[in-house]
Amino acid sequence: MPFSEIFLVVGSLLVIFMILSLIRAVLGPTIPDRVVALDTINTLVVASMVALGAGYKEVIYIDVAIVYAILSFIATLYIAKYLEGGI
Amino acid sequence: MITIPELGQITILIVIICTAYAAIKFKDLLAAVISLAIMSLLLSLEFYILQAPDVAIAEAAIGAGLTTAIYIIAIRGTMRREEE
Repeated sequence: MPFSEIFLVVGSLLVIFMILSLIRAVLGPTIPDRVVALDTINTLVVASMVALGAGYKEVIYIDVAIVYAILSFIATLYIAKYLEGGI
Repeated sequence: MITIPELGQITILIVIICTAYAAIKFKDLLAAVISLAIMSLLLSLEFYILQAPDVAIAEAAIGAGLTTAIYIIAIRGTMRREEE
């Protein structure tokens, strides 16, 4: 097995572990449980994108992960401000 | 013999279908919006794996950021519980 394929396996395993957070997002009794599950899946997606970018040997794929990490917290921010009481 | 990257891609597709179904079925509209956000970001990851990073950037910007914010503003303007 070449060394770069290890990163593909790592990224795919991060995707598979996402199922555990998904169970909490679907079953979670309160809204903050679902928000924390959404944030965990965001972090796992960013880590998976970086690992897969290393596996594909493309530098431009890391930029996608950077843009995604900048933009992904906006949803969590809006939901948190809605739960607090004012947007 | 199925390899681990193929298993990861199958997992992404199954989770996309599950979250889309949950977004339809939830009566609490805030939970439905969160489920739709999860579906959108996993769709972005699927575009990424299919070697289309520009589409993935657009999907991440519009789907994960803008759509959720607009839905939250709409829920705040109307009501949170869906009525039968």
